Amino acid sequence: MTLWRKSPDLTLLIALWLLLAIGIVLLLPQMLASWSITSILQFATLLSLVALGQSLVVMTGGGGIDLSVGGNVSLSAVIGMLALDQGINPAWLPLICLLTGTLAGAINGWLIARLRLWPLIVTLGSFYLFSGLALALTGGAAIAGVPTALTQWGRGAQFFIPLPFLTCVIPAFLIAWLILSKSAWGKWIYACGFNEHATRLVGIPVDRLRLLAYCLSGLLAGCAGFVSLTWLGSARPEIGVNLELESLTAALLGGVAIFGGRGSVVGVLAAALMLVTIKTCMLQLGLNSVWQLGVVGMLLIIVLMAQRLFIYRR
Amino acid sequence: MRRIATAVCSLSLLFSGYSLAAEKVAFVPQIIGIPYFQAMEAGGKRAASDLGVEFVYSGPVDTNPMDQLQIVQNLIAQKVNAIGISVLDASSIAPVLAQAKANNVHLFTSDSDAPDSGRPVYVAQATDQGLGETIIDEMVKRVGERGKIGIVSGEATASNLNSWIGFMQQRVKSKYPHITLLKPQYAGGSASRAAQIATDLMSANPDLKGLIAMASTTCPGVAQAIETAGKNGKVIGSGFCSPNTARAYLKSGAFGYTVLWDPEKLGYLTVWAGKQLIDGKAFSAENRVPGFAEPVKFDSKTGVLLLGAPAVFTKENVDQFKF
Amino acid sequence: MHMTSREIALLAIALLAIAGFSWFSPWFATVDNLLTILRNSSELLLIALGMTLVIAMGGVDVSVGVVMGVAAWGVGQLLLTNSPWLAALAGPLLGLLLGLMTALVVVIGRIPAIVGTLGLFGVWRTGLFALLGGQWLSGLPGTLTGGLMHSLLGVPVMAWIIGLVWASVWLVLRHTPYGLWLLAAGNSEEKARLAGIPVTQVRIATFMISGLLCGIAATCYIATYRNVEMTVGGSLALEAIAAVVLGGTRITGGSCSLLGTLLGVLLLRILQNGLLLVGIPSLWQTVVTGAVLLIVLSSEAASSRVFTFRRLA
Repeated sequence: MTLWRKSPDLTLLIALWLLLAIGIVLLLPQMLASWSITSILQFATLLSLVALGQSLVVMTGGGGIDLSVGGNVSLSAVIGMLALDQGINPAWLPLICLLTGTLAGAINGWLIARLRLWPLIVTLGSFYLFSGLALALTGGAAIAGVPTALTQWGRGAQFFIPLPFLTCVIPAFLIAWLILSKSAWGKWIYACGFNEHATRLVGIPVDRLRLLAYCLSGLLAGCAGFVSLTWLGSARPEIGVNLELESLTAALLGGVAIFGGRGSVVGVLAAALMLVTIKTCMLQLGLNSVWQLGVVGMLLIIVLMAQRLFIYRR
Repeated sequence: MRRIATAVCSLSLLFSGYSLAAEKVAFVPQIIGIPYFQAMEAGGKRAASDLGVEFVYSGPVDTNPMDQLQIVQNLIAQKVNAIGISVLDASSIAPVLAQAKANNVHLFTSDSDAPDSGRPVYVAQATDQGLGETIIDEMVKRVGERGKIGIVSGEATASNLNSWIGFMQQRVKSKYPHITLLKPQYAGGSASRAAQIATDLMSANPDLKGLIAMASTTCPGVAQAIETAGKNGKVIGSGFCSPNTARAYLKSGAFGYTVLWDPEKLGYLTVWAGKQLIDGKAFSAENRVPGFAEPVKFDSKTGVLLLGAPAVFTKENVDQFKF
Repeated sequence: MHMTSREIALLAIALLAIAGFSWFSPWFATVDNLLTILRNSSELLLIALGMTLVIAMGGVDVSVGVVMGVAAWGVGQLLLTNSPWLAALAGPLLGLLLGLMTALVVVIGRIPAIVGTLGLFGVWRTGLFALLGGQWLSGLPGTLTGGLMHSLLGVPVMAWIIGLVWASVWLVLRHTPYGLWLLAAGNSEEKARLAGIPVTQVRIATFMISGLLCGIAATCYIATYRNVEMTVGGSLALEAIAAVVLGGTRITGGSCSLLGTLLGVLLLRILQNGLLLVGIPSLWQTVVTGAVLLIVLSSEAASSRVFTFRRLA
């Protein structure tokens, strides 16, 4: 009962997961096999990373949203491979992807935090910019040629957990969780979203925090771009398609409020995993993939209506 | 209601155990919901009932490589015996090849190829070269050996479309030096964008003599653009379009001709090839396939199973075909 | 007529673009080409108009493209039954209905507009697929086309309809209480309620009007393309938002610029057309759109920081 009172969104998420788990046990017991879990985690890696960035941005409030994450992922992957083509040592690849992502995020952050432009519009513009650049620079073709050493890492697994998930997603979420729940920075981030005016009055650098949030979102997008390179073995300029909507869905299902000020990254990870699991289950049941869109859409509406009913009834 | 029934059926299938394991052949298109792949699905179903296998048809909603990959992986996990994929990109199946081998699943390509991936066979509608050359040759037959021709393609990332464009460019360079083939423009998957681009191309090049729509999704848009601009007959439209989509435009003159193959037969051949792989039968240079008038050729060097030569549809013969 | 600085800036950019493109391509400034640009803008003009109202009210709607798609399906189906009048009306009616459903989710369900419409986007997309039965509706009869493309005084009927729609919305905004209420609700919902404005009804009405406009756009779409596929209208929502924001309507609500939206839509289409005509590959069009959006917004923000006292005035 106390969990319900303290964080109803998390409870809702847990309830959904329980329903899902029961459904799987009854209808698709073969999904409990190890390869199935590995597969789900593999597909969830990109989404989780991007959803974490998205939730950080949304949590800092002020209408924070990042529609450009998908384009960012594609661009980071493309620039990484273009650099490789120019003869740069493959050892620099992860750094290049991370740097490109962070730089892209910084552009967003600067326009939003310094010039006080609205995030929806700025990230819409940068979405066009980044995804367009990714396509235009490659002429639409994928750039193959990722060194085998890296693809081995990208496709490998330890204890049924894919290596990228183990080395990127889990540490990222751990660090985020630690910062948000245990440090002063975390409290500042929540404060930004909860009541911007009061936060500014107290002297907390709201703008700098928002800039940081967008840079982090960019960094995570760059990381996702790198992971996609090592997994697919090539840079696909459309790899980021739909990621912005999916990451927003994961963040919202995970309990992050659209206006900021509340949410937990644990919920976001759980939501991202749930979305991928639902997709996989539907495929296993032989349902046409179109129904996923509808199911996830309905889920979003229902979960948010439930949140409205139970949470904001202070 | 149908979905609940499907779930119940899956449930009962599970309980009946895998003892009745019918052999399963799957086909994964680039995108569902378009008539072209619908026709392939129909062919696949027909082959499945003829050959006594189970046919699975599952594809992504958007031309999203991740979605296609997830579907393929799921099929491998479901121990579908053979999976034919119309790959969005040559690197589409790279991550799952090892897994497929480990699970004794035969992964092969159909309709769109991944030549260096080590796939056992590519079920080709016609050679990419044949397609590119035929469409250019037919266009030159109608517009003469001098002039400008525009290309409206679909997704910039579709490797089969890009391959055809490459052969078209080669053909023009080697055989028709006085033809200018404009750089391809990409309309994504939408008819309205294709129409917009086609119209703009005609405005930019008033001496444009021909327009080629590369993807079946761009066909209606290009044809409509020619009709709206009132250039029926002045600009010869064409593309890799199905007779059903192109019929109205062939009759009105917006399209001079279209090039395609029979996707229903391609679907049939795909399932047949899958069954051959499951049975461990090798492909001979000429293969007899039930329901096919001519033997189907197989090139062991490239691993290509060829459906046949591309078919040209015109105002005269379009009514004979129903796809 | 008094024009805001943003509208003037847009007009200047549009004229500059036209001049630039005409310099580099002799085919740009022809009557044919300019008409083409207008024709290509038909659906976006209607959808962006609806989006202007929604944004002025403080919301946003990312499902407009798919709503147009579903309405287009309805128009197409009725066209197949050989009743062009019914088909033409089906578009707006279906759009109205879908707008009502959006309103129910966002206004009654009290879900933030961006999230609610995001969910509805997925639901309608699946719905369209189910309605189409996985196929396309193609080769539709041209009965509607004949009607809407018919020239009345040298201008096609469709253009008259779009013009009339714009004029009506402008009149409603200027001369009915709804217009005032819309801006007040967009400005501050609380204060509007306190002032006795029926905010809930205003919001529901706005979504319904936006749906209606999408429906009219659907009829125009069928008349032009005679084809319905599942991906119809996919990117229209974002383009509409870009056009509206370019035009000066603030995303926070409370202000509204119809002229701005008109200029925004035209500028977007001029850029797309012009770039192709001067030979820049179509893949760069989105890059330019994004760049223009960001540059216009940041230069205005940067300059307004210098002239803050003018903004307060």
